[in-house]
Amino acid sequence: MDNLDYDLKQIVTQRRLVGLWRILAGYRWLYLLAIVSIGLSALMRSTIYYALGYYVDNVLSSDGSILRQSLLVGTAVVGLALLQGALTFVSGRSAAKTAEGITRRLRNYLYDHIQRLSFTYHDNMQTGELLQRSTSDVDALRRLFAEQLNGIGNITLLFLVNFVALLMLNVRLALYSVVVIPFIIGVSLYFFKKVGEVYETYQEQEATLSNRLQENLSGVRVVKAFARQSYEIDMFEVDNQEKYRRGKRLIFMHASFWPVTDIMCGIQMLAGFFLGARMAINGIITPGEYLTYAGLVVLIIWPIRNLGRLITQMSTGLVSFDRVRDIIREDREPLDAGTYIPEDGLRGAVQFKNLHFAYDKETPVLHDISFDVEPGQVIALLGSTGSGKTSLVNLLPRFYDYTGGSLTLDGVELREYPRIWLRRQIGIVQQEPFLFSRSIRENITYGVGRTVSDAEVETAARAAAIHDVILSFPNGYETLVGERGVTLSGGQKQRVTIARTLLKNPRILIMDDATSSVDTETEASIRAALQGLMATRTTFVIAHRIQSVMDADLILVLDNGRIIQRGTHTKLLDQPGTYQQIYNLQARIEAELEKEIASVGSGSNGNGNGQHNGRFQEKITTTIATN
Amino acid sequence: MSDEYRFEEEEFTTQFNGQTVLRIIKQGLHHWPLMLFFLVSIATVSALDSYFTYLSKRIMDEGIIAGNADVLTRIILQYGALMLLQAVMVFGFITCAGMLSERVQYDLRKTMFGRLQELSLSYFDRTPVGWLMSRVTSDTQRVGDLVSWGFLDVTWGFTNITTALVFMFFISWRMALIVLVMIPVLIVVATIFKKKILVEYRKVRKLNSKITGSYNENITGVRVVKSLRREEENLREFGELSGDMYKAGYRAAWLSALFLPTVLLITSLGVGSVIVYGGYQFQLGGMTIGGIQAFISYIFFMMWPVQEMARVYAEMQQSIASGERIFSLIDAVPEIQNQPGAGDPGSIRGDIVFDNVDFYYEAEKPVLTNFNLTIKQGETIALVGPTGAGKSTLVNLICRFYEPKNGRILIAGHNYRDLTLHAIHSRIGMVLQTPHLFSGTVMENLRYGRLEATEDEVIAAAQMAGADTFISKLEKGYHTQVGEGGVLLSVGQKQLISLARAVLAEPDIFIMDEATSSVDTLTEALIQQGMDRLMEGRTSFVIAHRLSTIKRADRILVIENGGVSEMGTHAELIRKRGHYYDLYTKQFRDEMEQAYAAQKVETELALAA
Repeated sequence: MDNLDYDLKQIVTQRRLVGLWRILAGYRWLYLLAIVSIGLSALMRSTIYYALGYYVDNVLSSDGSILRQSLLVGTAVVGLALLQGALTFVSGRSAAKTAEGITRRLRNYLYDHIQRLSFTYHDNMQTGELLQRSTSDVDALRRLFAEQLNGIGNITLLFLVNFVALLMLNVRLALYSVVVIPFIIGVSLYFFKKVGEVYETYQEQEATLSNRLQENLSGVRVVKAFARQSYEIDMFEVDNQEKYRRGKRLIFMHASFWPVTDIMCGIQMLAGFFLGARMAINGIITPGEYLTYAGLVVLIIWPIRNLGRLITQMSTGLVSFDRVRDIIREDREPLDAGTYIPEDGLRGAVQFKNLHFAYDKETPVLHDISFDVEPGQVIALLGSTGSGKTSLVNLLPRFYDYTGGSLTLDGVELREYPRIWLRRQIGIVQQEPFLFSRSIRENITYGVGRTVSDAEVETAARAAAIHDVILSFPNGYETLVGERGVTLSGGQKQRVTIARTLLKNPRILIMDDATSSVDTETEASIRAALQGLMATRTTFVIAHRIQSVMDADLILVLDNGRIIQRGTHTKLLDQPGTYQQIYNLQARIEAELEKEIASVGSGSNGNGNGQHNGRFQEKITTTIATN
Repeated sequence: MSDEYRFEEEEFTTQFNGQTVLRIIKQGLHHWPLMLFFLVSIATVSALDSYFTYLSKRIMDEGIIAGNADVLTRIILQYGALMLLQAVMVFGFITCAGMLSERVQYDLRKTMFGRLQELSLSYFDRTPVGWLMSRVTSDTQRVGDLVSWGFLDVTWGFTNITTALVFMFFISWRMALIVLVMIPVLIVVATIFKKKILVEYRKVRKLNSKITGSYNENITGVRVVKSLRREEENLREFGELSGDMYKAGYRAAWLSALFLPTVLLITSLGVGSVIVYGGYQFQLGGMTIGGIQAFISYIFFMMWPVQEMARVYAEMQQSIASGERIFSLIDAVPEIQNQPGAGDPGSIRGDIVFDNVDFYYEAEKPVLTNFNLTIKQGETIALVGPTGAGKSTLVNLICRFYEPKNGRILIAGHNYRDLTLHAIHSRIGMVLQTPHLFSGTVMENLRYGRLEATEDEVIAAAQMAGADTFISKLEKGYHTQVGEGGVLLSVGQKQLISLARAVLAEPDIFIMDEATSSVDTLTEALIQQGMDRLMEGRTSFVIAHRLSTIKRADRILVIENGGVSEMGTHAELIRKRGHYYDLYTKQFRDEMEQAYAAQKVETELALAA
């Protein structure tokens, strides 16, 4: 639709008003129309009362047949009402179109903006906070344009138009009729601000009560196990009472505000009636003019009370505007910055040279990393939690940019490649599998970016050892994942993400501890499936068990962001160092296990480590022999 | 009512359910003086409004046209006095309606909370916590508002229209008849709009929750989105959603915007007829200027209740649906209740016997069939097996959180259905895997085990459970706040506290679900010690994750796919080379690796120091 591609980055300005003006881009005339129409409709309304005044003074008091004249006035009233209605409608419709239109644009922009913000931003931002800003704050902003700004405009214009109409009628009467207005505005502003505060304490208590309930419900086993029901009821009662008490306070405030302002407005109105009627009796104004006056003065006095409410609401709407702007202020990660795209695809040679990396300047994460990878090689990264393994592989798709040294891909500095192109070449199986609440098929084909045949999907699923599991669900590949569908176990989720990565068919594969939540048997079958895949592409494997890394072409042992050992399995085994230690440790454990079992299982002596460890077992024996 | 319907939020029934309405009214009638007073005061306020218009007529006719300043002053004074009365009434109805709303909400929350305490565990397994939460929070709010503000709107609208009509008939019955014709037209129009607008708003709400869901996934899954470079596709999909939202939102808004002008047009036709017919009558002498003025006011006046009708109706529908859900919760019957004649033997020390027990959660998937097992008084049973295999099912049966579908469970010789729930629950001590603490102090949490325990007894229990050491190191000792759900403490510390809590309860049966997450070595040793002390002489069930615990048990039950697959002592099961053997060897490797890793860190720390 109109103006969907206006760059909302521009609403980030020093001054809020300028920002509001800019967010209206493309809708300014429409919104102006909304406001002008309100003014005009107020004018029609006033004219109706003028027509009624004319009717009383000139039609009713004339002699002879007044039917023709009455008909004229009657038609005029209907016509004016029709105009008033049409203008109100135009105003409402334009305001709605403006509010919905800019909200839609903002929603789309925010959605896209969020998915294009850097990893660093998302690392530091809480999900709930971001979610709240993009939903409730956006909605508050919508209401600002749909209800509050035009509501304030409505009341102000209604006042101005009718006040001018009153002035035209009789200046003195008009001036006397608005004495109380500033007071009412003052009182209502004060009141709605106060009510806002009291309402907050009421809401706080609501939260307390909800927490109490939540604790009770999630701790239902404890409550029952200790048979503490009546104790819980007593505790809840205290909070429940308090909420009631605070609710009463809120009510008393409302119960005082409305009658007090009722009296203020009422006295003003009656004083006007009295004065006007006296003037009419004394012949200063005509009865018809009095009738006009009585109709208009009501429109001036009573609506003013809502001004305080609208202004208070508007100020919260403006806060929401600021909170939304905070997100937009952040810079996006430029996805297509970079010029180099190799013509005949990526071969997969990677070179790290004296590379440094830090998330923030004070705490360096990777120091002086250097190593070379030939296309098609398997690189294993071994190290304890926090040693920098994941940080290292996250540099490859340019999720983060390294802070020093060089990292080249097929001999070209990584920065030369556009991010979007790089990410197409790199497949990652992340440590924590994430699935979307869509069907399993959609999850597997997520991000492939082309139509995929069922056969392809199934092949990928088979390779990831998940095909049979999927078929066991009633809806097969169309089964929904998540709240509305099946709950998958951690291992099953992991395998779906592996299938997803296989289908993507990347040139570089990163397995970030991908098989950690999969049981050993499945791990073996996945590994077998991956063997073929890994043969032709550069693969980075993160793991912390020797079994998972021993076949790699190059093993890097990381500690505190440095490479402390490098080489193949056989080479590293001969070096004194961490790798050997880990290896010996695991060997020792196996030996102890043997002993342990032997001590219990006096009946039969076992070679029973299960077949998945057979190969490792063999190697241990040889190692122990060679040592 | 099917579960599917029950968990559907925000959906409301299409028609008024008379019974629910009656029950909602009954809730209000518990506080009938408030209800009576607010209905009377709102009716008075509304009737006075009509009377004020009549007074305006008199100002015109008897004051201005008659040229009588004295009468004018009198009318104005009367007007003023009544206005003060009206202000008092306004105060009255806001206070009473508001109080009634709060009071009804308070009552409903209290009733529901009480009912929630009685319901069986199976209810909570079926029902999401979020669903229950919204019953107690937003739904009570809606019902409270219906009883007060909803009825208030209806009374106001009704009185407004009827008193206006009465005055109009009083002024001129012929002209009043014209107005009378207008009312049904207005109501029909309002009904048509109401339906259309409601449909749109429902769409808007549905789309809104979809949009929120979409944002949620985009934010939580942003790393995947980026690595699979799904940005464009996502934006396109979201664009469709926000486009639909735009259409629905815009349509709902302009339909609402069309409503007022339509009502205005109909009423202005009424005003037009009054002008023409009133002028004719005026000439015949059957009508005064003030009378015509009053008629015009009354007609414009009647617009407001009609306009509000759509809103009030929609809110009422929602509230009634809320009421239905609330009553469904209040009416829920606890599946497990005390049987008539159930007693409390004073102690449940003794053997526990599963006698031909059948059990299932869903009839198609039996969990236990013909299950027999005798557990001797004082025995320690370890339950092992993969997560979700059904280890807690056995525990739930023993605790009588669930009951066998067939067969019986005997505790100390009693069929446990012959005992009261309190007799069983109050003598079971339980430590959960992720120990649940309540916000409050350490002392309060410990005392949960036995409410009347003295401070010394609490401390003694903490000492026995090995929790005293760390508690006394806390800044405020036993009076330290643990935070919501105990977030300020580590898992190990929470387990120690819940151990102490169980010690304090002096249970006959002890149930422990070991923590899977790593606990530091010292705490772990303390927990072990505490467990040992607690288990001494007590029948104990441990859902075990640590080899040391498993090995010390008198018997091990291997639970897989919901059933007991192997049973025996450690040595027996190892020799069998079955599931237990696999579990054990895998566990052995993991644990040793962790142990060595911990050792390594410790030596490094020692070297660094």
